[in-house]
Amino acid sequence: MVLATQLPVATPEADIEEGIRPAHDRPWRTIVWNDPVNLMSYVAYVFRSYFGFSAEKANRLMLQVHNEGRSAVSSGTREQMEVDVQAMHSYGLWATLSQDGD
Amino acid sequence: MRAFSFRRGEYLAELDPHERTIISRVIADTSQLLGVPLGRLDEASELEEASSAVGPSMTWSADDVSEPADPALARLLPSASKEDDGVADEFRRLTEADLRSAKAARLRMVFDELRRPGTKIHVPTERAMDWAAALTDVRLVLAERLGIRTDSDAEDVYRLSTMGAEADEDEIREALALLYSALTWLQESLLQVMLPTLPD
Repeated sequence: MVLATQLPVATPEADIEEGIRPAHDRPWRTIVWNDPVNLMSYVAYVFRSYFGFSAEKANRLMLQVHNEGRSAVSSGTREQMEVDVQAMHSYGLWATLSQDGD
Repeated sequence: MRAFSFRRGEYLAELDPHERTIISRVIADTSQLLGVPLGRLDEASELEEASSAVGPSMTWSADDVSEPADPALARLLPSASKEDDGVADEFRRLTEADLRSAKAARLRMVFDELRRPGTKIHVPTERAMDWAAALTDVRLVLAERLGIRTDSDAEDVYRLSTMGAEADEDEIREALALLYSALTWLQESLLQVMLPTLPD
């Protein structure tokens, strides 16, 4: 099963053109990557318990990781994303941080 | 092995003494891999410790911030950036010591429970996430040793654990596959009792 569209992760500035914003203003994202080990139930549990997502949102993002190989699960400052990525690594999920537009 | 269920305010599973020994061994191996030996497992490891110059304390250096050479350790402490080494190195420098000790503390907690006498495994609800995370770390290491890189590899390992080895496959691999599948099953049973407790 493949999801039909890339689901947008809402950020307040998501519709502002990259070109007019200085690099240090561009938000960072936490990306969770698919792996063949982590249980779907566990990934959904981590998304719900750590991020406080609803069951529906956690399952949607978990399936996006599973089907598309990755999902952006949070966005914010670099420091905030480092906290989120560290939490994901602590739970054994493979996550990376990157800045929008990179 | 009996799946986790919710009984009298805690999660309960059952593992026989043989299962407890095998699982506590891989827990100890995983902690060792993180540089935090659990120590005093059996006489062999005591001898090993006694003859070791560094002793049973931390066996890694916080100064080394490069990605671990052992792929199993690299899976426990993965890179935080695919394209920017600067971001990855900075993240590793800031977080690796905390990640190692958090993972080792959870492994120690599971290890201690497995070393208790009897067959029952007691997991307080507030420790369930720590248990699930520790089981994940052990499964990540086993999966790396089994060469599980894709969903198809995982299916092959599952098949090996249920159907047994072909004549040309080795018995150690079959034993690892059995252990991996058993831990997967145990972790899934824990998640199935944990999930309904979350607020929606």
